[in-house]
Amino acid sequence: MRIDCRTGSPYLRPAGAIQSMRTTRPPVALAFCVVVTLGCGSAAAQDASTWQDASTRQDPSSWREIETKYIFGFTTGSGIGLEGEKEFTIDSVGRFGKRDGHYAATETKYEFEFTPSQFVQIEFGALGSTHTIGGMTDLDGRNQVAFGGGFAEFRYLAVERTSNNPLSVTLAVEPTVRFIDETSGARVHNYEFETTVNADVELLKNRLYAGFNLLYEPEVTKTGFGETQREAKFGGSAALALRLAPNLLIGGEVWYLRHYDSPTLSDFTGDALMAGPTLYVQFTPKMFMTAAWNAQVWGREVGNPLSLNLSEFQRHRARLKFAYEF
Amino acid sequence: MSAVTMTMRLFLPAAIGAIALLQPAWAEPIAEILVTYSNGQFQPGVLNAPVDKPVVIHVKNLDAKALEFESTSLRVEKVVAAKSEGIVNVRALKAGRYEFYDDFNDKAHGALIVE
Repeated sequence: MRIDCRTGSPYLRPAGAIQSMRTTRPPVALAFCVVVTLGCGSAAAQDASTWQDASTRQDPSSWREIETKYIFGFTTGSGIGLEGEKEFTIDSVGRFGKRDGHYAATETKYEFEFTPSQFVQIEFGALGSTHTIGGMTDLDGRNQVAFGGGFAEFRYLAVERTSNNPLSVTLAVEPTVRFIDETSGARVHNYEFETTVNADVELLKNRLYAGFNLLYEPEVTKTGFGETQREAKFGGSAALALRLAPNLLIGGEVWYLRHYDSPTLSDFTGDALMAGPTLYVQFTPKMFMTAAWNAQVWGREVGNPLSLNLSEFQRHRARLKFAYEF
Repeated sequence: MSAVTMTMRLFLPAAIGAIALLQPAWAEPIAEILVTYSNGQFQPGVLNAPVDKPVVIHVKNLDAKALEFESTSLRVEKVVAAKSEGIVNVRALKAGRYEFYDDFNDKAHGALIVE
């Protein structure tokens, strides 16, 4: 569900008030995420020998091939895992900062994924959500932790990478049911059907990768007041990931997202451009983490002259994911 | 002629034709490859397989500890206990080089060349 800032008449506020809203300090959670991420990264870089022989560490041609699914941050790579592989992950996405007041929301996926064949991957799990909202024009203040719903994801590898073809493409669908609204934290029944194309290219063997996503995400929400809202997100991303050591990749990504008040993409309400750094660290052959942070660098809302789109999107978003394969 | 009979006459040859076309894929010969693992190394280190044929890799572990035959590009992983044999089924592959390794041993690796 999105916030309708247009009804909040934000441009009637004094200029000083708007300025103070724009200089909201970065959320503590985000800073914590960055510190943890950098700490993990430097520790892992120093200890690259934990899972690959020291003599081969300097020579990328001797590094093991890497699974690309999680190396691009919010952008998902084409990897589908290995047949027979199972994985448990905790994947948290935090969204921070709206037009005014204080806003912090997280959604965590407790996820089990497995690869039953060399072309298909299946994931499913539960969602947990937190909302800390205060002093906002369009959202009720709340401080809550809740069970958020459930999801499943089906991924099909359509184009596979070989030593002669650096491109790999996976098609994915992810139906999700939510009982807590992602944005407001209110009790709702929300049904989302995320459809993505995940592509990546190995630009330099074992060294440099480019990732691309195309996203179409229609959803319908039934609110507690019996109202039904239909909306959709459409957009894409581009990312680069550089492998500094066998178990360490850093990179950056850019997302362009459009929001519509219709699943058929007929009622455009605004768009946003988000960009930020990414990090991937493999601690052991069976355990890794990925982290990413995106800031909204440009955005617009239909009917609102203020910069950025903080109605459908947020100032910052961060992702922190830990996975254990078995 | 009843509608059922007519339908059968029209669609039966088509169905048989479709089955005949599909049959070569079902009856596709499988390439079988043996690789042994001893003293922490795969032998031979380079395997060969034909293009567009499913491959069965027999991994014979002669060592006294388990190995995990794993490959990102082949998209397989298989734990093979000490002094035993594991079977890894791989889809029909396109031409290229597919690297594999023992996930429990940094120094053990090899490649499957498909041509």
